Amino acid sequence: MAKNLTRKQILAGSLPLVAAAPLAKLAWPSTAHGESSATHLEHEHPAAGHAAMIGSEVPAPGGPHAQDAALIPPPALPHRPGRVREYSLTAVDRKVEVARGVSFDAWTYNGTVPGPIIRATEDDLLRVNFSNQGAHPHTIHFHGIHPSGMDGVFEIVLPGDTFTYEFPARPYGMHLYHCHVGPIKQHIHKGLYGAFIIDPKKPRPAARELVMVMNGYDTDGDGENNFYTVNGGAFYYAKYPIRVRRGELVRIYLANLTEFDLINSFHLHGEFFRYYPTGSTDHFEYTDTVMLCQGERGIIELEFHNAGTFMFHAHQSEFTELGWMGYFDVSD
Amino acid sequence: MASSSLATRLGGAHWRLWALVPIAALVGAIALFVSTGGSLLELVGQGPPPRDELDVRRVAFRPGEIKVRVTNPQRESITIASVTVNDAIVPFSVDGDPTLGRLRSATIVVPYDWVDGEPVSVGVTSSTGVQTTEDVAAAVETPQASARGFLGYALIGLLVGVLPIALGLAWLPSLRRASPSWLAAFMALTAGLLTFLALEALAEAFELQAGLPSGVGGLGVVLLGVVSTYLLLTFLSRRLSGGEAAGGLALATLVAVGIGLHNLGEGLAIGTSFAIGELALGTFFVVGFMVHNVTEGLGIAAPIAERGRVSLRRLAVLALIAGAPAIPGAWLGGFVTSDVLGVLFFAGAAGAALEVVVEVARYIARKAPGGLSSGHALGGFLAGIAVMYVTGLLV
Repeated sequence: MAKNLTRKQILAGSLPLVAAAPLAKLAWPSTAHGESSATHLEHEHPAAGHAAMIGSEVPAPGGPHAQDAALIPPPALPHRPGRVREYSLTAVDRKVEVARGVSFDAWTYNGTVPGPIIRATEDDLLRVNFSNQGAHPHTIHFHGIHPSGMDGVFEIVLPGDTFTYEFPARPYGMHLYHCHVGPIKQHIHKGLYGAFIIDPKKPRPAARELVMVMNGYDTDGDGENNFYTVNGGAFYYAKYPIRVRRGELVRIYLANLTEFDLINSFHLHGEFFRYYPTGSTDHFEYTDTVMLCQGERGIIELEFHNAGTFMFHAHQSEFTELGWMGYFDVSD
Repeated sequence: MASSSLATRLGGAHWRLWALVPIAALVGAIALFVSTGGSLLELVGQGPPPRDELDVRRVAFRPGEIKVRVTNPQRESITIASVTVNDAIVPFSVDGDPTLGRLRSATIVVPYDWVDGEPVSVGVTSSTGVQTTEDVAAAVETPQASARGFLGYALIGLLVGVLPIALGLAWLPSLRRASPSWLAAFMALTAGLLTFLALEALAEAFELQAGLPSGVGGLGVVLLGVVSTYLLLTFLSRRLSGGEAAGGLALATLVAVGIGLHNLGEGLAIGTSFAIGELALGTFFVVGFMVHNVTEGLGIAAPIAERGRVSLRRLAVLALIAGAPAIPGAWLGGFVTSDVLGVLFFAGAAGAALEVVVEVARYIARKAPGGLSSGHALGGFLAGIAVMYVTGLLV
């Protein structure tokens, strides 16, 4: 009704009731400035926003160690050519909690989004036994160097079928894997992807190693992401900050598997880091912000100079405020 | 004799009991259908999954806080899981259970430092991930129920309702000097303006009901509103005129009631518009309504023009009946804002106005020289609609 009223034109010129004008003034209500009876959440000023989103206030899904499998990679093994590294991946359709109280009908490898971390050392023989228990055809497409028949593009694995991927792991670096059945946009967005690390012949220096897969979820099917996360749960590392020690070498294997949006990014507060694009060379950039398109990945290395709480997040503010943010808890 | 009357009585009871049989059979059939677990429906395919979209009833702005009133319009329950303001997830609290059953409502409170006059987009996401978004064109502090605001709305109601009608009634002495033909013309003018009001109210009712959640059954509310006031006024008119067709003061009272119901809806519309900050040109808006409503006073005056003296008190009462409902209307609109109530009010106004048009037409047919088809009656009717149209442009 209100719309209807304002739509009508007001012809200010024809006001036959001259006497009415001063009277009408009386009717104009002055803006009431009543005290708000607000039931504020216990924290402070409303402008606190995400600064207030720390600890138990954070609407993140899962418990304290729920994302450990996605965060902490299996240990690197020394170089031994021809050694077989075997993994089993099963495609399952499953509801996953992507933000507190919000479920998403995902297609997963082994029941999680992202899927398990696959790790090998250069010249290992990688063997991945894939079983499709989902309702749709799937594959695993690995990034890296491998024969055409192991590429996971033409060898479609139908529901109920299995396939074994076998190829020597190379080159070293941070890679990724994902389903490559069309529509690819859908198969990736639904959750079929994960991190794939190949360690160099010469071992990397010992470090506190972390994996971060950046992603998004379009939970209502409108082609836009409703939530953004690292490793699957919105705001997860804001609720459960990642504990590291001051001065220790921290190595982050970072990948972007966000669908729909052109890019994603990683920004760390209060610190600079060495960023090795793809992690396959010694070339690095010294920065605090990196930008990745889908499928791009790299390795971050740093030592925290200061103890305390340091935020990390996408430097697309929208992604940050839709879940892609967290904290490092740096102790002495 | 006694036994036969007993048999009749028993027989009567028997047939009354028989009337319950179809109802009992229906209950049984439904129970059977439900207990089979809807397996019958599976024969013809599965229903689509629930949409899980909420109905945002109202977004209110208070200093440092946004309040969102939502209703679950579907059969399956919906759980509020996440809230965004301008595409950012925000902390929030819900008054009561965040899981809403069918047609259940809840208020979401978000502490938020909103910017005055800037657009705000509020998103409420269900546990199934479906986001309902409500865009507010400009954030403006929502008025709260205060003595000041109460007085303000009362003044608005007085200005757009009572005052112009009282002014319109002041045409009464001039009307008394009019010839019977001209009086008929003015009566027809009353009918014309009431027809205009009825159509306007009906359009408002339809527009509002279209925005209601389907579970409320908007069309039913409209029909119920129209018919119930129409019948109520028919009953009232028989009462006032002692069984005959209404004329004179009785007819004037009916006209006043019809206009009063319309002004209740009008007050509601004005109050709501002020409350949600859509009335940037509030002063002109009020003036427009005043001009529009002066004609309504004329409509009430016409039926009593041919009578002898009417006391000032009577006239004051008539002005109040017709104009005062704008005041509670404005209060309701300003502080409560219920679209269901709005539909009911506008539909009721339409029904009342239509009934009064019928009464006025009867009166003209009976009393006016030349009846309904006289030039004066036809011209007056047309003029009534034209006058309402032209003054309506002011609003």
